[in-house]
Amino acid sequence: MSAAPLLTAEALHKSFGPTPALDGASIEVAAGEVVAVMGPSGSGKSTLLHCLAGIVRPDAGTVRYAGRDLTAADDVELSALRRGEFGFVFQFGQLVPELSCAENVALPLRLDGCSRRDAERRARNWLERLEVADLAGKTPGQVSGGQGQRVAVARALATEPRVLFADEPTGALDSLNGEHVMRLLSEAARDSGAAVVLVTHEPRVAAWSDREVVVRDGRTTATAPLTA
Amino acid sequence: MRAALRELALGARLAFSGGRGSWTRLLLTAVGVGLGVALLLVAASAPRMVDARDQRIAARADLPLDGGPRHAGPRTLLVADALTEFRDVDVRGRLVRAEGRQAPAPPGLDRLPRPGELFVSPALERLLRSDDGRLLRARLPEPIAGTIGDAGLEGPAELAFYLGSDRLAVRTAGGAVRRIDHFGDTGESEGLDTVLRTLAVVVLTALLLPVAVFIAAAVRFGGEVRDRRLAALRLLGADRRMTRRIAAGEALAAALIGLLVGALLFLLVRLLVERIELRGLSAFSADVAPSAPLAVAVLVGVPAAAVAVTLIALRNVVVEPLGLVRRAQPRRRRVWWRLVLPLLGVALLLPMALGRETTAASGRDLELAGGVVLVLVGVAALLPWAVEAVVHRLGGGGVAWQLATRRLQLDSGASARVVCGIAVAVAGAIALQTTFSAVEGHYVRDRGGEGVADVWQTLVRAPPGEGAERLDAALRGRDGVRSLETVEQLQADAGGGESVAIRVATCAQVRRQLRVDRCADGDSFLLDGASSVRAGARVRLDGEERWTIPSDARVVRLRRPPADQAAGAVASNPDPVVVTRGALGGMRPPTTAVVASVQLDRAAPDAVDQVRNAVWRLDPLASVYRMGGRDYAAQYANLRRALFIGAIAVLVLIGASMLVGALEQLRERRRPLAVLAAFGTPRSAVARSLLWQTAIPVVLGLALAIAAGLGLGALLLGMVGRPVGFDLGSVAGFAVAGCAVVLVVTAASLPALGRTMRPEGLRSE
Repeated sequence: MSAAPLLTAEALHKSFGPTPALDGASIEVAAGEVVAVMGPSGSGKSTLLHCLAGIVRPDAGTVRYAGRDLTAADDVELSALRRGEFGFVFQFGQLVPELSCAENVALPLRLDGCSRRDAERRARNWLERLEVADLAGKTPGQVSGGQGQRVAVARALATEPRVLFADEPTGALDSLNGEHVMRLLSEAARDSGAAVVLVTHEPRVAAWSDREVVVRDGRTTATAPLTA
Repeated sequence: MRAALRELALGARLAFSGGRGSWTRLLLTAVGVGLGVALLLVAASAPRMVDARDQRIAARADLPLDGGPRHAGPRTLLVADALTEFRDVDVRGRLVRAEGRQAPAPPGLDRLPRPGELFVSPALERLLRSDDGRLLRARLPEPIAGTIGDAGLEGPAELAFYLGSDRLAVRTAGGAVRRIDHFGDTGESEGLDTVLRTLAVVVLTALLLPVAVFIAAAVRFGGEVRDRRLAALRLLGADRRMTRRIAAGEALAAALIGLLVGALLFLLVRLLVERIELRGLSAFSADVAPSAPLAVAVLVGVPAAAVAVTLIALRNVVVEPLGLVRRAQPRRRRVWWRLVLPLLGVALLLPMALGRETTAASGRDLELAGGVVLVLVGVAALLPWAVEAVVHRLGGGGVAWQLATRRLQLDSGASARVVCGIAVAVAGAIALQTTFSAVEGHYVRDRGGEGVADVWQTLVRAPPGEGAERLDAALRGRDGVRSLETVEQLQADAGGGESVAIRVATCAQVRRQLRVDRCADGDSFLLDGASSVRAGARVRLDGEERWTIPSDARVVRLRRPPADQAAGAVASNPDPVVVTRGALGGMRPPTTAVVASVQLDRAAPDAVDQVRNAVWRLDPLASVYRMGGRDYAAQYANLRRALFIGAIAVLVLIGASMLVGALEQLRERRRPLAVLAAFGTPRSAVARSLLWQTAIPVVLGLALAIAAGLGLGALLLGMVGRPVGFDLGSVAGFAVAGCAVVLVVTAASLPALGRTMRPEGLRSE
């Protein structure tokens, strides 16, 4: 990594009650880089993602994004950052059930101040890129899991974020659908120049990344650039 | 059969297991059902309360329709009405004098009071012994020799007394003193008149329907969690029929606990009922007992309804082993049968509204109740359709508006069902308020408007010649008396059962109170609009003297009294003949009464009771009343206030169930809300969406309720023979209250929303 990292976390500590989730974890993510965060279940990888995205405030340590200390930012600043600079894909239950797929994709754009018409036009473009344009008028309850994940990826990328956080994005999908979603996600992210923080415990999914960070017992224990 | 019972029992066990969450839901349902059951049991007690009161009133009746015994005997007693008021509250008094040793005692007394002895109701005794009752004590200074038992009272709050008198004698004139030999076989029935009957039927209907809606909402509390539990049971091998029975068992358990809570609340109401008084009406605890068939209907009907509501709710949910599938495309609601209900109601009510009946009839009550129920149920049935139809046309707006309208488009039924309670209560309340305000306005107009608002009139029976001077001396200069007019009144028989009051006034009094250009002794006047007598008619005065109303009697109008003068002593609407002394042509018929009109100072609140005390000393049988009739306006105002409070209580009740629904929905949507928070959705946007989601059905419900309420009110006004006019103030009041419910429900949901939108929601996996 020759360029200055876009996102860095240093010595993060976070506990939920008596249980430590992070115990000195550190990570760096460069612009446009795809980083897979791997580790067994309960190792703290999702918590690391939440701290990096400003969703959860660490108990100790710092998170910097483009030179800004996120641990010192207030809720309004963090919300604005998440709205404009970050995108999210989760494992399940992320689409607003009462909105159509197009409205779901348009939602972050509208929250960012885009007009309804413009937001929905851009949403349809993204749905087309993710090969689910025909689902625009359907509600999440009417589409399959794989289709829903592609809609979620479209929504995450619709605001053209600088960092895309994906937490087990294929965890609820079969391998074929998982592959399809990962291909579209990584292609779309690379096309738009977004960095991706990809939390997964599946090596097959991690293979889509540029490098891996392994989390074990709340600590980042190994960083290996992937050359394959 | 045994398997079915086992599944019901399993459902009941599940209702109690599951930790704090289950217990909270069970408690909410039980309290909700309990409140409804308590209200239903109180309503089911109403017939008995009315019957018991009527029986006691009938048992103490002392107005013999056949005139009573003509001569004194060992079993006769004399009784006279000594009705008075204290601070606008009725006091039922009787003067009694035994003529024989075996004269009967009235119900509630073990013996007749001796001369100078006072027997009082417990409420009156408390009042007389308190500082508040000091002024009344001056009117009734006699020693209290005993209290009247429950059997002799309308209710525990009734102010009543029996006073022994040795001066009572049967008077031929006026029939104020009656001879009787027993109490209770005459029809002193104070059954409700048409207006009150109409209002009572509508009140019961308007209050009970929201209770039914509330019970239905209460048994759905925790429905989502229960559905998930049923899905888990499906995974373990329960088939659809079994899950339905298990769900029925859960609902039944909650309803039975609710019955228990309801029974306890009802017992509490029973304990406290004697402290409640409404428009002078009160009930003994013993009377608050539901009739057996109605009690059975409540005890069986509520659990059955709970099970039915649960099973109906499950129709829209397919419980599969891997979770729930809500029917993606709920059937579009049809409007035709929903319109049939209110139209049928109107069809039942319209003939009564056009016929303007004035007498009560039990068949009419049934028709009226049926019509009102159909209109109000029609409102409840139309609302889900109206909400669905409107929200499907809503679009545009910001993110919050979009989230709310899309949510309602997905499932507006739950919100609409809860709002039905508000709609029914408000529609009924507006209809009643409309009727009340029209009736109230009628009484205000009857009293002759502002000019006589502070004028009281008294009619004292007095021996000829001296009554007017004595009454004048007793009242003039007393605190609070601003002006005073005193005239003599003669009673004349115009034949055919017509009785005419002739007031004898001086020319000065005539000029003050009638619109005349001249007056001389010997002149006589007829009031414009009086139809019972005409100039030249022959009448029979007291003492059998015949007298002809002078043919030159002039038809005149009342003068609007100046603010500082008492009106009405010379003439008021029922007294059409005013004569000067000379017009009687030297006749000196015995004076039957003296009429005084007293204008009181508004700033002296006890002035009227001072006047009553002064008049009481002259003649305990004299009446003191507000000019133009009793001030029913204040009583109707109280009723309106009570109704408004009742409707607001229903709004609060429904608001509580809306809040529970909103909290449950937040719990259910924990994951999507946490995701919304993750990608930066401001909490305020979601809060505004909650506000719209509550407000849209409530606004639509209120709009429908206001339209239906005003329509129903117009029909009710037609029934009680009043011109149609609307009380827009109360309509605005309900609209404001509805908005307040929306704001409070939203505000109360915000802490839960804050918790739900925390990132911890993302950690559920």
